[in-house]
Amino acid sequence: MDKKIKIDALARVEGHGGITVEIKDNKVENVRVEIYEGPRLIETLVIGKTPEEDLNIVPRICAICTISHRYAAIRGLEKALGIDPPEKVKLLRELMHLGEMLESHSLHVFVLALPDFLGYSSVIAMIDKYKDDVVKALQLKKYANKIMRVVSGRMIHGENPIVGGFGRFPTKEELLEIKEEAKKMLPIAERGVEIMASLDYPDYAEANTVFMCLNPPNGEFGFVGDSLLFSTGEEYDVEKYKEAFSERVVSYSFAKRSRYKGQPFSVGALARINNIGDRLKGKAGAYYRKYHDDKWLVNPIYNNLAQAIEMVYCLEEIPKLIDKIVKMPDCEIVKPERLTGTGTGSVEAPRGTLLHHYEIKDYKITKSDIITPTAMNLDDIERYIRIAAEKLVERKEIESMNLQLEMIARAYDPCISCSAHLVKVIRK
Amino acid sequence: MAQEKLKIGVYGFTGCAGDQLLIIHSEDQLLDFFNVAEIRSFLMAKSDNIDDELDVAFVEGSISTKEQVEKIKEIRKRSKIVVAIGHCACFGGIQSMYTGDGTYEKRLKAVYGDKINFEIDTPIEAKPIDAYIKVDYYIPGCPIDQKQFFAAFSKIIHGTKPVSYWFPVCTECKWKENDCLLLKGILCLGPITNAGCGAICPSHNLPCVGCWGLYDDANLKSQINLLLEKGFSKEEILKRFKTFGGPKMTERLKEVLEEEEKNG
Repeated sequence: MDKKIKIDALARVEGHGGITVEIKDNKVENVRVEIYEGPRLIETLVIGKTPEEDLNIVPRICAICTISHRYAAIRGLEKALGIDPPEKVKLLRELMHLGEMLESHSLHVFVLALPDFLGYSSVIAMIDKYKDDVVKALQLKKYANKIMRVVSGRMIHGENPIVGGFGRFPTKEELLEIKEEAKKMLPIAERGVEIMASLDYPDYAEANTVFMCLNPPNGEFGFVGDSLLFSTGEEYDVEKYKEAFSERVVSYSFAKRSRYKGQPFSVGALARINNIGDRLKGKAGAYYRKYHDDKWLVNPIYNNLAQAIEMVYCLEEIPKLIDKIVKMPDCEIVKPERLTGTGTGSVEAPRGTLLHHYEIKDYKITKSDIITPTAMNLDDIERYIRIAAEKLVERKEIESMNLQLEMIARAYDPCISCSAHLVKVIRK
Repeated sequence: MAQEKLKIGVYGFTGCAGDQLLIIHSEDQLLDFFNVAEIRSFLMAKSDNIDDELDVAFVEGSISTKEQVEKIKEIRKRSKIVVAIGHCACFGGIQSMYTGDGTYEKRLKAVYGDKINFEIDTPIEAKPIDAYIKVDYYIPGCPIDQKQFFAAFSKIIHGTKPVSYWFPVCTECKWKENDCLLLKGILCLGPITNAGCGAICPSHNLPCVGCWGLYDDANLKSQINLLLEKGFSKEEILKRFKTFGGPKMTERLKEVLEEEEKNG
């Protein structure tokens, strides 16, 4: 049997991408994840700009990961300029980042991924049967957006977090309101875990892979760290990211691909939960111990459940953070120690490790390198789609293959605007 | 009342998807948004999309590849009204800050190498959608603002014209009774930038960076002179103007600079 499966435009993902699978004589031949998103050459736009201007530009790589981009950039720029901001600034940045994590995960789990499992085309189509859950999911999303609005100034592309501090600190009242609401939101996230855990996870895409995430300090779970931790046990300082993985390019995609020792690898919530989930405490820790098993190590679709557990983590963390923040006095914006330097900033974006590397001379950027999680994931998405296609051909389940392959791509929560922010093609 | 619902499409070209996301982020309005109109196509939000005749197409993103040029023309052909939403569609986005300055080929080669030939599409210099089609209404912002978008959306689906804001960020900043950052010697673009954000950055003690795009009646010459008086270099001033300027800013600046040269 010959068949060409072509998903021209992946729905319910951010940005423009497609999948092509060619089957010949019952054998899967070509598998390609194609990225059509037009390139914007972002890294060339920031050359000659000041660190402040860089922060007006790079968060615009992606609306869903805007705070992660801003946070990673700030960390890289501050390292380069020798700035160590006060504790209050660091904690507020963590808070805004938890807001984004929660927002992005609630969007993905409930709005983008769940309709697949329940057989709907969108979350709106689910409203008749699941009104209560949909309304609550939207409440959770709205709450997460509020955190970003209060701390960063806006839901999307807020300019308030800057190098050395914040333009304006949120008030104690605003923060305490967020803290109180976290309690009301926790049951919604817990319900999310239970819903995602009750679904049948298809087993057509099972294979081992390597997971990578940041290693947060002090043996804690978290989304910020200065070293890259692989599931193989290897660890690299983020400044040495070029030793940890290599990048390659393909002509059918406007996005770069990353490999670890020549192999595809995965980043994101599943990588974090698999690598450091045993550090989770409280209710998130209890869910981890209840649901995490060996299947999570081989099946990318569990990323949905991993995200749901991280939502619980965020909501447990937010009140603790706010309790610390409100006790601290507002502080002045910290000025640079030096005007020339280099630095790599790293955070976990909702969909995986994000790196911003900068070289600065006389307070102007001379070089930047931005490596995004979806670009890291692309090779593994493609590999799992091939594995799934082969399995489905073997099982003669070809008719529903489009949706099943799309579900794998969607499980990774790909962010195509991020992945296609730049392509470097080296022709020999 | 059995009024037929308007057929609507939401499309994204090159950008950060922030304007579509803003619609999805409007949790209080989202269910109504899908109820009051027939959302035929919205790829980012749903999977059963049908691309046929539309009453209104909302379009986000700049045109940045050859195929996108064809696609935007095709959307125009089957839509009664086309609304550009967000900075990229209205002005070209940050990716168009150097559009038309002659460096594109060089920058493209610096990034892609000399001989690259993509199988899927051909990248071109980023431009706003009205570089290729007629646009009926513009809703600026980076990203668009909820209030501004839904006010315009309501007007459009009720068959009336949306009202654009006819004043710059400075007006909103005065309403908020903020201290003027320009008076403090900070390079703020409030006087030349479209209102609509609620002067959000100046309200956080941060200068306006121009992300709502160039205000139609902006007096660029006066703003340049003011900033020169404040001690900023011309190079610095123009660099800031251009970050969210796109080809429309470049055109206006050309007029101003040519006039200046003529007058010595």
